[in-house]
Amino acid sequence: MIKALRGRWVGYPGAVVLVLVTIGILKFFPGLADSSVALLLLLSVFLSAWIWQSGPGAFAAVLATLGFNFFFLPPVYTFTVEDPRNVVALAVFLVCGLMIGRLSALARRRLRLVEAERADLAAMTRLSQAFLSDTNRESLLGIAADRLRDALGARHVSILLADDQQKLAPAASTSQTEIRRDLADLTYRQGNSAAFPSELEGTDIYLPIPIGVQRAGVLVARGFQASEGLAEGCAVLLGLALERERFVRLARAAEQTRASDQMKSTLLAAIAHDLKTPVATARGAIENWAAEAGGSEKARLALDQLGALTRTIGELMEVVRLDAGIARPHREIVSGAEIVEAAVARFGDALARHSLFVEAASGDATVEVDPAQITEALGHGLENAARYSAPGGEIHVSANAEGDAVFLRVADRGSGVPPAERERVFERFVRLAPAEGIPGTGLGLSIARSLVEMNGGSLRLLEAPEGGTLFEIRLPRAIQAGDLAAPRTSSP
Amino acid sequence: MSRVLVVDDEPGLRKVVRDGLERAGHEVETAVDGEEALGFLAERDFDLVVTDLTMPRKGGLELVREIRRSSPVPILVLTVRHEEREKVRLLDAGADDYVTKPFGIEELLARVRALLRRRGSGHAPPSELRWGGIVVDFEARTVEKKGKSVHLTPTEFALLAKLAEKPGAVWTHRQLLSAVWGTTAGVTNDTLRVHMGSLRRKLEEDPDRPRFIRTEPWVGYRFTPED
Repeated sequence: MIKALRGRWVGYPGAVVLVLVTIGILKFFPGLADSSVALLLLLSVFLSAWIWQSGPGAFAAVLATLGFNFFFLPPVYTFTVEDPRNVVALAVFLVCGLMIGRLSALARRRLRLVEAERADLAAMTRLSQAFLSDTNRESLLGIAADRLRDALGARHVSILLADDQQKLAPAASTSQTEIRRDLADLTYRQGNSAAFPSELEGTDIYLPIPIGVQRAGVLVARGFQASEGLAEGCAVLLGLALERERFVRLARAAEQTRASDQMKSTLLAAIAHDLKTPVATARGAIENWAAEAGGSEKARLALDQLGALTRTIGELMEVVRLDAGIARPHREIVSGAEIVEAAVARFGDALARHSLFVEAASGDATVEVDPAQITEALGHGLENAARYSAPGGEIHVSANAEGDAVFLRVADRGSGVPPAERERVFERFVRLAPAEGIPGTGLGLSIARSLVEMNGGSLRLLEAPEGGTLFEIRLPRAIQAGDLAAPRTSSP
Repeated sequence: MSRVLVVDDEPGLRKVVRDGLERAGHEVETAVDGEEALGFLAERDFDLVVTDLTMPRKGGLELVREIRRSSPVPILVLTVRHEEREKVRLLDAGADDYVTKPFGIEELLARVRALLRRRGSGHAPPSELRWGGIVVDFEARTVEKKGKSVHLTPTEFALLAKLAEKPGAVWTHRQLLSAVWGTTAGVTNDTLRVHMGSLRRKLEEDPDRPRFIRTEPWVGYRFTPED
């Protein structure tokens, strides 16, 4: 009812009616003192200003002053004033009426502002709760437009989001309506909002949806009644909700990858175990049998073949592990010399018929890698050198720091690899013509390169200075405390 | 004749190891996992335990830890490649040695012989050690190679003395560093490698292919004077 009374065209007639009704009631009780009459008339001025604000309030003050003079100050029913003291009273009455009207209207307006801000806050809170409870992009956008329209008291809300090519596309809207795409694009590119009176009543606004310093898209509200501040707040909230949804999605994906890696790893370990155990058992059984039977050429052949089978299984499993992406490096700071020593110790048996030269300077040639993986990669280089160079030939293994890199090299005196083939041999199952009759799967170099690259290095084949093949692993040199300039005490 | 407990969940491998050990003249009991093995060990004494690393109920590492709470019996673990960290953990937990699958039975029997010999010889460090033309007198702190005196630095001699405590056994980097330097802080595995390198140059015929002081990649060193 109060709301109906506050209509735009009710104010002045309302003020007139209120003042006249007050005068009527006062005339009905003729025994009242003049001061009481004045106070009750001021009350009507206050109420007019409170309900209809400044204009009608001031009008009521003037009307009440005239009424006070005409109906109550002697001589009654004239606008003349007999007692000069009453002239002062009348003037004071007018001033009081105007001031009361002004102050009550001001208080009223402040109260309305506070109420509006509280309503905005409540709307934002409801909106953020709704956004936070939703972690799925489709359903988030589906309800976002409707909720934003309700919060803003708008006729229509559209959400436009940018794709990977920075082009805006409609993501959600409450109804079909005309949207100025040029304005939306401008808002998105420049990051400034645009607001103007709407043909649908209220305001049309184009707001950037912020994500950090970037923008996710544009929020369009047509014919909205709420404040621009609320609209901007809504755009920020929408940006946060979209960002949160993205993080939740990424976290879920990471969790799934981790779980699936764990499963792959367990599965591959089980497969490797199931493949290797029968071979190991067969090998032991043949050894026992051969020892009891006094040894035989046939047993030796069987053991050799089982050895080759074990190697093949090992390499195939290594390829599967690399492809599955679960062979992640566990990095440590180690010296190149340690890697060379480990590789020679592990793969040295393959080099038994060659002359081995190890040149590994200690100290500054340090790297941060998975030691076992790089040892294995270098081991493939050693095995290749032994296989493809004549027995008795020299094999040189070295570790050196050169600039910001550490090089691990294996050089042989074999026939070498023609330049045209030096990349092709890193492909899987590729073996060059001279390799016929030499045992091997054609996987070793491919595995070695994958292991080195996984550790941030590179691997290539070159021609050795003395002819033959140079197998070269290049790794980034690790930064150590000793590399930093040591503080020196200045001498006098 | 020694009594050996073999612990493995694979029936085939269990049989092969058992046959090999029996052929070498040992008395063998078998258990399928760590739980059963602890039951056997509580009932009677064994001279050696050979255990697999991965088993469904109580794996090798747990078994080593539980045995070490009450018994000094030598333990040999059957491990797999790609598991250097696991090997270091096993040795630090008190395992005496490991062989890496796929291993040959002869290799396994050689390790078993070395472990049983050490058990027989007791813990007193030898006063003199001779192998391959080298004579080490631990009391006089002198070393001779083919009749000629060899000078070792105090660190090199301390390393050699530590290695000689258990011929055939593996020492982890950490064990050697804390035994010789008294700490693992500030000394790296690379420091150890440098000293081992100079020890090898003084004692080995071919330091690039050491026969007596062998590298166990990313685990430590093994002293093998008998080979």
